[in-house]
Amino acid sequence: MTLTTVKLTLTVNGEQVGPVDVPETMMMQDFLHEYLGLTGSRMGCGQGICHACTVIVEKEDGSLSEMRTCITGVQWFAGRKVRTVEGHARRDGDGAITELSPVQRAFIEHFSFQCGYCTPGFVAAATVFLDGLKKKPVRRDALEQAISDALGKHICRCTGYVRYFEAVRDLALKTPGLVEA
Amino acid sequence: MMRKLLWVAACVIVVCALAVASIFFGAFEKSVVAGDVDEPLTADAMAALAERGAYVAVAADCYACHTAKGGAPWAGGLPFETPFGTIYATNISPDKDNGIGGWSRAEFHRAVRDGVGKNGHLYPAMPYASYRKMTPEDVDAVYAYLMTREPMKVANKANALSFPFNIRRGLTFWNLVNLSGDTQAEVAERSAAWNRGRYLTDALAHCGECHTPRNALQGMKADAYLKGADIEGVHAPDLTKAGLQRMGFGPHVLSAFMKSGLSAQGGMTGQMFEVVHFSTQYMTTDDLDALSAYLFDLDALPADEMTPEMSEPAAVDAELSAAAKPAYLSLCSGCHGVEGQGIPHVVVPLSTNASLRLTNARNLIRVVLDGIPAQRFPGLERMQPMPGFAAELTDRQVADLVNWLRRKWGGQEADIGPQEVGQLRHGLETASAGR
Repeated sequence: MTLTTVKLTLTVNGEQVGPVDVPETMMMQDFLHEYLGLTGSRMGCGQGICHACTVIVEKEDGSLSEMRTCITGVQWFAGRKVRTVEGHARRDGDGAITELSPVQRAFIEHFSFQCGYCTPGFVAAATVFLDGLKKKPVRRDALEQAISDALGKHICRCTGYVRYFEAVRDLALKTPGLVEA
Repeated sequence: MMRKLLWVAACVIVVCALAVASIFFGAFEKSVVAGDVDEPLTADAMAALAERGAYVAVAADCYACHTAKGGAPWAGGLPFETPFGTIYATNISPDKDNGIGGWSRAEFHRAVRDGVGKNGHLYPAMPYASYRKMTPEDVDAVYAYLMTREPMKVANKANALSFPFNIRRGLTFWNLVNLSGDTQAEVAERSAAWNRGRYLTDALAHCGECHTPRNALQGMKADAYLKGADIEGVHAPDLTKAGLQRMGFGPHVLSAFMKSGLSAQGGMTGQMFEVVHFSTQYMTTDDLDALSAYLFDLDALPADEMTPEMSEPAAVDAELSAAAKPAYLSLCSGCHGVEGQGIPHVVVPLSTNASLRLTNARNLIRVVLDGIPAQRFPGLERMQPMPGFAAELTDRQVADLVNWLRRKWGGQEADIGPQEVGQLRHGLETASAGR
């Protein structure tokens, strides 16, 4: 049996990938793991429920959105800009991490995770959420609900969500311009 | 001459006015309730009837409408959006002030079968045009059962209907046109199962209220009985034998589908999910088999399943495949499978899915746009939520995808255009999508 392939070109963490031949039925998760060695996006349920496989898609208008890679085929990402969990921190010329992103730092400071399996998805969700607040700040009294709405679909089985929640709330409150009085 | 004409005109006007007034005041109302129900039921008779009444009420699906989401049981409050305004289901718990605690046996019969309640005419959102065919014994049983429920002190919500629809007595006109004076008699040459199935279909389960299209006067079209209708933004499919076979159902599968809500033809969604949830899952196997036998016009379910002949996956033209297949592989195949096979106990298959086989594409388009929430089916089955793709796909892309799916696995023509998707995306009812 030969697999039908398609030519794929996309941008991952700021770098162009491809054109590369990939099986037309391949899921993005497998492409990230097997072709690019980016194993940070986790395979959890494989059914789009747990959201551990979520990555960020940077749209042309500069806004960010979440996409689940376990149930989304590679072809959907053709020509798009993708940010995986490996692409959030600043790195030096050798690729060593020099500075975590604000969301990553907040999660560590708040001890938000234990096993860390769900963390790449939460990093993506929180980053998309806070980026959205830059353009459209949330009222202080609506902040908690907005965080729940933004992170609610992500499943964590260790810490019970509270520390993720507190980390995002803390970061939203201390970052100027995200929360209105 | 002029004087004579004026006299004639005046007479015509008076006669018309008299006719309208007599209709309005109920002179032509045809009650199917016999006088013997004026005699109250004894306490012993009520106690004896209540248990069977629970089953009749389940088969008639009373609870689903007469209980608001998260509201007190039987206390009403569920809103019905109609073209004429909003109607709220009423409290039918036996509370004396707000419910039917003070209703006599005769008053209950008149409400259920004639559409005339103790407090005036009912709106046909209450399916009395169907319940009219219920036997007096079944109405008694429901009455006895409801009187055993907990009285709920929950006030009825006022309807928000525009003039003249807010005048309850105006229903006399609708009733005159749409209510038959006859009730359903058994057809002697058909089996008991067929007759029971007909009674379930037409009276208790009131299938035609959604599945039979309505005429300009909002009555069920007798000549299009169960042939499918657009209602509340979705298409209630054709339930005639031909329609069921087109969807891929055989009689045994249909009976099981009404019990479980799941089959190779897909999962129950929307209001039919609720019908399974509150009603048909609790029906006896005999009743479900009878229902299915009647819909397939059989006197009994056959020993072997009559699996309808299904066409092989159709060839899809190359241009449509090029436009739609990448979208299917990208957004659908992760769960529904590359071959449309689905995932057992998680995601329904598409290759045998009834929604792809309907001539009317409305349900498929709406599901692609809006998705389906997670559903818990009887017997520990769970279907995961389907995301909506309204934000990911343009009208053109949805049309291509829907055409490709319908062509490949539904044997339908690839004739859906982006404008039809756009109209459904914006919630507009259209004539074209309602074919």
